[in-house]
Amino acid sequence: MDPKGSLCSNNWARSACLTSPGNGLQTNMSSDPSPFCGVRIEAPFKDFNQPSTNQSLLMAEPNKDIKISDIENCPLTDSSSQTGKLQDWDPNVMLNNLSFLEEKIHQLQGLVHLIDNKKCQPFAQPDALVTQEQQLITADLTSIIVQLISTAGSLLPSVRHTLANTSPLVSQLSQLRGLNLPFGSGPSGGIQPQNNNVNKVFDQSTQNDVPNNCEVEQNNMEEHETKDEEDVEEGENLPPGSYEILQLEKEEILAPHTHFCTICGKGFKRDANLRMHMRGHGDEYKTPAALAKPHKETGSEPKLIKRYSCPYAGCKRNKDHKKFQPLKTILCVKNHYKRTHCDKSYTCSRCHTKKFSVMADLKTHEKHCGKDKWLCSCGTTFSRKDKLFGHIALFQGHTPAIPLEETKVPAAPTDLDSKDNTCDKVGNMNFCFGSNPPNENEVQNIMDVKGNIDDPINYFSSLNFEGCNFGGFNEFSQSPFEDSDASFSFLMSGSFNYAPKPGCESTSDNL
Amino acid sequence: MSESLLCVLTEDLLVRVLHHLHSDADRKSWRLVCKHLNRVESLTRTTIRILRIEFLLALLHKFRNIQELDLSLCPRIDDGAVKVMLSQGSPGWTRGLKRLVLSRATGLGHSGLEQLVRACPLLEAVDVSHCWGFGDREAAAISCGTRLREVNMDKCLGVTDIGLARIAVGCSRLERLSLKWCFEISDLGVDLLCKKCFYLKVLDVSYLKVTSKSLRSIASLLNLEVLVMVGCSLVDDVGLRYLENGCPLLKTIDVSRCNCISSSGLISLVSGHVDLVQIAAGYCLSELSGPLVHCLKNLEQLSVIRIDGVQVSDFFLQTIGKNCKFIVELGLSKCIGVTNMGILHLVSGCGSLKILDLTCCRSITDAAISTIADTCPDLVCLRLESCDMVTENCIYHLGSSCLLLEELDLTDCSGINDIALKYLSGCSELVRLKLGLCTNISNIGLSQIAYNCRKMAELDLYRCVYIGDDGLAALASGCKKLMKLNVSYCNRITDKGMEYLSHLGELSELEMRGLSNVTSIGIKAVALSCKRLADLDLKHCEKIDDSGFWALAFYSQNLRQKTCYAGNTWFLQPV
Repeated sequence: MDPKGSLCSNNWARSACLTSPGNGLQTNMSSDPSPFCGVRIEAPFKDFNQPSTNQSLLMAEPNKDIKISDIENCPLTDSSSQTGKLQDWDPNVMLNNLSFLEEKIHQLQGLVHLIDNKKCQPFAQPDALVTQEQQLITADLTSIIVQLISTAGSLLPSVRHTLANTSPLVSQLSQLRGLNLPFGSGPSGGIQPQNNNVNKVFDQSTQNDVPNNCEVEQNNMEEHETKDEEDVEEGENLPPGSYEILQLEKEEILAPHTHFCTICGKGFKRDANLRMHMRGHGDEYKTPAALAKPHKETGSEPKLIKRYSCPYAGCKRNKDHKKFQPLKTILCVKNHYKRTHCDKSYTCSRCHTKKFSVMADLKTHEKHCGKDKWLCSCGTTFSRKDKLFGHIALFQGHTPAIPLEETKVPAAPTDLDSKDNTCDKVGNMNFCFGSNPPNENEVQNIMDVKGNIDDPINYFSSLNFEGCNFGGFNEFSQSPFEDSDASFSFLMSGSFNYAPKPGCESTSDNL
Repeated sequence: MSESLLCVLTEDLLVRVLHHLHSDADRKSWRLVCKHLNRVESLTRTTIRILRIEFLLALLHKFRNIQELDLSLCPRIDDGAVKVMLSQGSPGWTRGLKRLVLSRATGLGHSGLEQLVRACPLLEAVDVSHCWGFGDREAAAISCGTRLREVNMDKCLGVTDIGLARIAVGCSRLERLSLKWCFEISDLGVDLLCKKCFYLKVLDVSYLKVTSKSLRSIASLLNLEVLVMVGCSLVDDVGLRYLENGCPLLKTIDVSRCNCISSSGLISLVSGHVDLVQIAAGYCLSELSGPLVHCLKNLEQLSVIRIDGVQVSDFFLQTIGKNCKFIVELGLSKCIGVTNMGILHLVSGCGSLKILDLTCCRSITDAAISTIADTCPDLVCLRLESCDMVTENCIYHLGSSCLLLEELDLTDCSGINDIALKYLSGCSELVRLKLGLCTNISNIGLSQIAYNCRKMAELDLYRCVYIGDDGLAALASGCKKLMKLNVSYCNRITDKGMEYLSHLGELSELEMRGLSNVTSIGIKAVALSCKRLADLDLKHCEKIDDSGFWALAFYSQNLRQKTCYAGNTWFLQPV
């Protein structure tokens, strides 16, 4: 599902527009739109008119994603029975849904094969047609995913229903809007500005759900839990509940690759690498637009703040913890999980004592292991000058040693000092681990590392200190976050490799 | 000298007499009298300054009791030379050595320095200023001198916090330390220094990249009396506020060219130290605010204040005049707003003023200078550069009242003429006189000065175009002690004038740029006779040819620096 998953990240409006043109290739799918629409329009109103018997469901709707609320109906032609079945889960319905999905995927496979064959004839297709076909696939995939999610959504425990706090009317209205989004025939730009928070949530959650189908349920739960809180307020200092909490599974976190080639299935760690790889699959991937970094926030609309939870129960970074402190980015999650809950399997090849669970940590350590030491006459070594000076100030008679080989001790930039104090908490990681470091020192280091994990910013800046980039830890700490954006951008619309139409720009931006 | 006289003068009496001879020339004469006096001189001599390193060993043998060795004129000294000095010098010559001047000894390495320092068990002071190549190793070598009280490391560019830490730990009795231009030193080093050396009395951190954090450390020094922090552009008012409550013995502070400090910082500093004696705050404020002037009122002990380049008001000068009765030195160089009225207010209270700098205070006229001359009889130094309104009238008052005047700067005062110089010749104590760009003076005026101011050591006649050979003749016969002379662009001077100059045996610095009438003959005469000549500027002396330079190379053994340009490109190696 993964390759297709990345394809489907195309935006909704576009796909909706393109389902209608009668393309020859689309005939096998052409039956879809009408039932979709029919169900769609009916379902909410039915819900709305439902008497008290279905009250709990109505309450539940706003908590769930719209995608669930409206999409769960999609595959089911019998929408009236569906609402009832949601309450007590029906395996038959589930089975139905799954087989439906299977069928659709097969159809899609055929379509892709067809396109693939066509590609072999260079002059057969104008570019526009190719684009249309791709968009078509996207549309189909989108619907598949939506259905899949809704199917999974039906499994959600009924507990969440009680979390509802918005009025049913509002929720219904927002649902209607949500309906407009994927299937509206008008220009997407016209709809988009109206879309409030709810729609964005909708989009984002899809992005997150797509790759990890196994965890669809899990993620949905996350979103539902937070959704009611999101409606309250979106603040800068992030009071609890002002952000969306996502939680990846352990397997997801430890997965070596996050980007997969839609054609050959090869995995990559970075989207950029994937894009480079894609060039080999055809000329259409070589256009500057296809090679460009897919997604840049224009900042026109405030993006919902996402925060991450560690799946490890009992961890302070786990959302169930009393003093839960969320992780900022997915990279934070990965590093945190590896550092805190995994074995330290990488050993420094120089000192053979220091171990790391994150490769990058090892590399930064190795870069400085045994080097750049601030040495005291008593033999103690320090990785930072201010620590050495603190030591010398403390002990009578100790004095800095000057290495024999070099003619000059490398001078650290003077602004080190100003940075030092601002990051007192951070630097502890940077004690030097020479060939024979004092034991207690090391213990302390390890402890310090753990202590630092609590604060992602500090943690990254501490890394930065090891990298000796004293001057600008701000820039440095920035890069991981940026990277994390990129590494998960396969979820975003842009990773679909064709040039977006100008008319659809706003939509893709929003995604 | 007869035998009987020597019988009367016992050795201890001779030593006493000798103590009253200060100048090198006098001592030289003393040494030349007889063997006996020579022996007394060599036994009592404690200070020795080596002009040429080849004589070092002999001199070390001769002067057994030296306490101060000055090698600043021997930049070629290296580790090998040190080894020879230590092994072949008179036995134990280093035992009494207390002061070592190695300024500009750039050839010295850390091992030689360490040997030298270790060989001097009583060493108390080391000066390695301007040894730009020195770094942490050399600092570590110096730190072997555990009794050191004074270290001067100006412009040791390689010294970092590590080197400073070595010295701070090794020389914990340090009282005076200068770190000027040691750019690598940061707050960290200064902080450690302040933690280790509690006895510091004098600290110079000029031009370091230290911040207010350093001042917090410095504020903890209980014995600090002098703090010099010129051009510490990262220090701000916060730092000065630290000082307000620290350094209880602080007497002297120099915050010149600290761009980031303001009046409020100075106010807090001043209010914390009412017994400040010296303040220098030039080029760090744009103007003196009212509250600051008000604060300065409380400084009754204040004797030196320099606020160059600041906009001042009559009110300030009046306040100083009224309240600071002990003011001795006032620096108002390039201050805006200094008026006659202000000066009148000032001097009415400050009768004890000795040094007054009014450079570029262009609105000052004769009236103010006359008042200064009449009310400040102790005036020693007066700088009036670019005070165009000054004429012979006020010089009359100076010449008749300020008989102690030693230094006068009249550069670019076009009102000065021969009559003014005649009046000025009343100041018989004059040592330093600057008459550059005074184009109205001639040989007659100069002769007056020359015959009456016989202590003159430094004379600037830059572009005094009417000065010619006759003036130099008068100088040569009158000012025998002249050491520094500038006759650049005095085009009337010829070889004859040079001939006269050659009678100035003490002359060590001669600037004679653009003397187009001087040829190699004149230069040869100077080179032959002026044995002490060390600095010579011959730029644009186009008639001087190779023979002149041959003469210089051959005769002027002490020549260290020569500037020549246009035509000849000879460079003498320092010998």
